[in-house]
Amino acid sequence: MKSRFLQLFEYSPDAMVMVDRAGQIHEANNQAEQLFGYGHNQLRGESVQRLFPGQSVPLPSGLGPVERIGRHLDLVGSSSDLRQFPADVNVIPIQTERGTANVISIRDITDAQRAQFVLELGLDTYEAADLDRHALLDHLIRAQEEERGRIAAGIHDDTIQVLAAANLRLQQLRLRLADPEEVGILDKLEQTLRIALSHLRQLIFDLRPMSLQRGGLATALRAVLEEMRSDLGISYRLDNRCTIELAPGTAALIYRTAREALVNVRKHAQAKTVRVQLRDVSGGCLVGIVDDGVGYDPAEIEERPGHIGLSLIRERAEIAGGWSRIESMPGGGTTVEFWIPHHGVPEQPEARHDPAA
Amino acid sequence: MKPIFGPRTEQVLAFLTELWNLSPEQITEVSRAWRKANDLNRAEAWAQLQRAASRNERHRILAAAAVARRQAMDVAHLYHRTDWAFWAAAWDAAAAIAADDGKSQRYEILTGPLTTVLSSLSRERGGAQVPAQRGKRRAEARRDKGRATANSAQGDRARGAHQQ
Repeated sequence: MKSRFLQLFEYSPDAMVMVDRAGQIHEANNQAEQLFGYGHNQLRGESVQRLFPGQSVPLPSGLGPVERIGRHLDLVGSSSDLRQFPADVNVIPIQTERGTANVISIRDITDAQRAQFVLELGLDTYEAADLDRHALLDHLIRAQEEERGRIAAGIHDDTIQVLAAANLRLQQLRLRLADPEEVGILDKLEQTLRIALSHLRQLIFDLRPMSLQRGGLATALRAVLEEMRSDLGISYRLDNRCTIELAPGTAALIYRTAREALVNVRKHAQAKTVRVQLRDVSGGCLVGIVDDGVGYDPAEIEERPGHIGLSLIRERAEIAGGWSRIESMPGGGTTVEFWIPHHGVPEQPEARHDPAA
Repeated sequence: MKPIFGPRTEQVLAFLTELWNLSPEQITEVSRAWRKANDLNRAEAWAQLQRAASRNERHRILAAAAVARRQAMDVAHLYHRTDWAFWAAAWDAAAAIAADDGKSQRYEILTGPLTTVLSSLSRERGGAQVPAQRGKRRAEARRDKGRATANSAQGDRARGAHQQ
C-alpha cells in the first residue's frame, strides 16, 4: 500500500510535495522540483512558504470529516529563479506513521489563465456586440412603428382625401352626362376608385390596425384569424380572458408580435387549427398561440440564419421588458408564448381617427 | 472567472454540467413534470423575475437560460428525446438559478420540474450549489450520520442529506 502510494506520488503528472503539520517539506516529486526549478532533494527540509512566499497555506491539523475533503487554494507560485506563476493548489491531509501529514498538489495554470483571458476578451467583445445589436433592434422596431404611423397618416390625410375628392367630382360629372355609354364608363371609373380606396384602407389597417382602437386587441387578432380561415381554411379558437384595457402602444406591440407568430403559422405550419389565448398575468398580458401543424426541429432551424420572424417575436417581447418562449418538435405543432407588461412600453404618438375608413 | 451569467455564474455552470449527467428516463420524467406543472404559475414566476431584474440583469438571466436550453436540447438529442418540455424546463431553471438565491417561491416554481431529478436544486437545500458547497454539505451529512448512531431519527435526516 505504502509503495503504491509512493508510486502514485512520484509519477503523478502534477507537482506534489508532502509536508508535515508545521509546513516543512519531507518529500517532493520530480514534477515539483522541475516546476519550482530545484535539483533533486533540494526541496527537502524547506518550508512550503518558500514555494508560495508571502501567502498563507493553511494546513489542517486533524483528519476530521471536513478536513478529509481537502482544501483548494488559488496561489501564486515562485520558482528558484523568482519566476512567478498562478497555481492551482490542493491540500489533502493523510495519516502517516508519524501522524498527520499533508500532500500538496500544485498545478501551473498560466496557460489555462491565458486561455481564459482570451476567452473572456472574446466574451466581452461578443457581449458588447450583442448589446449593440439589441439597441439597434430596439431602435429599428420603434422606428418601424413610427414610420408605419407616418405612412398611414400620409395615406389617410393625403392620398385618400384626393381620391375622395375625385369621387365627389365624378358624382358631379354624372349629373351632366346623358349618354348611356358615357355613364357606363363613369360607372367603371367609380368602381376602380372604390377598389383603390378599399385597398388603401386595408393598407392603413395593416400599418395601424384600426380595430385595435375600436374593438381592442382581441378584435384585431380575430380579423387576422378570420383572414387565415377564409384564405387557407385554418380553423381557430380565440380565447380572450384579458380584462384590463391596454394602452395603445402595448396593444400594438402585442398585436404585431402575435401577428408575426400567426404569419409563421400561415406560411410554414400546414396547420388545421390554431388556438390563441390572451390572459392577464402579473400586470401584463400573456399570449399563447398553439398550432397543430408540422412543427420543426429547433436544433436544426435555430442554427440556420435568416429566421427573422422567430427573432422578432423574441426581441419585441424582450425590448418591452417581457419574455417569450417559442418551442416546437417535428410533427408536434408549435407553441409560441409571450408576456408583455402593461406599462413596459413607451407610448407611441396618439393615432388619428380615420373618417374615411 | 468572468461572471458571464451574473453573480451566480458558478451555480449556473454547475447546473449546466449536471444536465449532462441525466439519464433518458430522467429526461422523460422532467418533461412530464414540466407539462404537469401549472403554466399560469410559471408565467407569473417569469413575470416576477423580469420585473425584479434590471435590463442588464435580464440580459444575463436570458443568456443563462438560452445556454441551458441549448445544452438540454443537445442532451435530449443524444438520447433521441424530442419533447421540448425538457429544454423548456432547463430554460426556466437556469433563469431562476441565475436570478435567485434559491429561497423564493418563483425559484421553486421554475426549477420544480428539474428538482424531481436534481435534488441539488431544491429550495430546502438552499438552491443550486457549486460542487465545493456540495462537498461541504456531504461532509456535514457524514458528521451528522456519525452523531446519529444513538438516535435513529437524526440518522434518517443525515442519510437524506447524504443522498445529495
